[in-house]
Amino acid sequence: MTVHIFETMGTTVSLRFGGALPSAATLAAVEACFDRFDARFSLYRPDSEISRVAAANLALYRASAELRENYAEALDWRGRTSGAFTPHRPDGVIDLNGLIKAKAMAASAVVLVAAGSTDWLLNVGGDILSSGSVDGSPWSVGIVDPLDAAGMLCAVPLTPGRRAIATSGTAERGEHVWRRDVAGQGDEPAYSQVSVLAADIVTADVLATAILAGGRAQLTSALAQFDIEVLTVDASGGLTATAGLRSGRGLVRA
Amino acid sequence: MRRRAIGLSILSSAAVLAVGWQLGSGTQPLSSSVSQATDAAVPGTVTPAAPTTGAATPPATSAPAASASGTFTGASAQTRFGAVQVQIVVADGTVTDVVALQLTDEDQKSVSISNRAEPVLRQQVLAAQSANVQGVSGATYTTDGYLTSLQSALDQAGL
Repeated sequence: MTVHIFETMGTTVSLRFGGALPSAATLAAVEACFDRFDARFSLYRPDSEISRVAAANLALYRASAELRENYAEALDWRGRTSGAFTPHRPDGVIDLNGLIKAKAMAASAVVLVAAGSTDWLLNVGGDILSSGSVDGSPWSVGIVDPLDAAGMLCAVPLTPGRRAIATSGTAERGEHVWRRDVAGQGDEPAYSQVSVLAADIVTADVLATAILAGGRAQLTSALAQFDIEVLTVDASGGLTATAGLRSGRGLVRA
Repeated sequence: MRRRAIGLSILSSAAVLAVGWQLGSGTQPLSSSVSQATDAAVPGTVTPAAPTTGAATPPATSAPAASASGTFTGASAQTRFGAVQVQIVVADGTVTDVVALQLTDEDQKSVSISNRAEPVLRQQVLAAQSANVQGVSGATYTTDGYLTSLQSALDQAGL
């Protein structure tokens, strides 16, 4: 197993390979893929295209096709999550940060596959996409304990139908999660951390964000619509899990 | 009192049971005590199938409702999910669980289609080094946060 580590999008990427590292050109292409998304979609960069849209210096209809397509995809996710996932900041500015990291990860996977790399594990700031296996076994990932950064709640294998896992939490950088007004939902606890296992990283990442924002109602809705597994942590540390995660190493059914 | 409990748990699963009522017809009757329990909550032409697993009470017509226990599975019916059947778990005459099962195309093996998040407990504290994991998923860390993260520890240890 080999590891390539680099920084992008304000975080650190850990890219592991089951065998030897691929060529330097392949690794550079992966890094360039992230940097390209960051250059266009980062609101932290005043010169990015989306910053120009946010500042009303660029009309949306004159923006690049790539920006408009990603915005349209984000709006689709807003519809599928009853607004729990949204590409708009509370002040109305378009913010695609909730989508772009996962999109860059998916694009990097295409780069790796095209280069002939089959066994790898891509961890970008805690969201993970995998391919193949390591030493003949599935890649195995842990889910961090939000109350103890040095401990894990459980460990799960990543398999072909569950290649991706994303975790959203209230400790998240910048918290690109705008909690909905939960009035009318009684005293149900809000989740402090939500992990979603899915076949692809965009679904996992978007739904982890949506369930963190939308609470139990959004969890029920997502489970009815999507083929995912979910582990939630509530404010007092209580855990719930779907069937596929209840058997995760380290967990037992209550 | 017990009968009320049965009614409430059935009504709370009304969406799932709606499938079950459709597929009940044409199957052999469940033990009479459970039929009695379900009839109490929802009138209809329900005739669930015989128990398949568990310590089901024999279908003695004189058995009181409170004594029925076991897992009972209805016949399959075609729905938008494909072939579906409903399974109920009964403990001492109370329906404790209702699960919609889907028969997969390949081997007709039943899988749950009602994936629900249910409470779980930590069995042990897993340490990254000993848990044999290659990655750790958590809320997004910054470049600085990475330095103190479990992922960083794994990377530095070459694990």
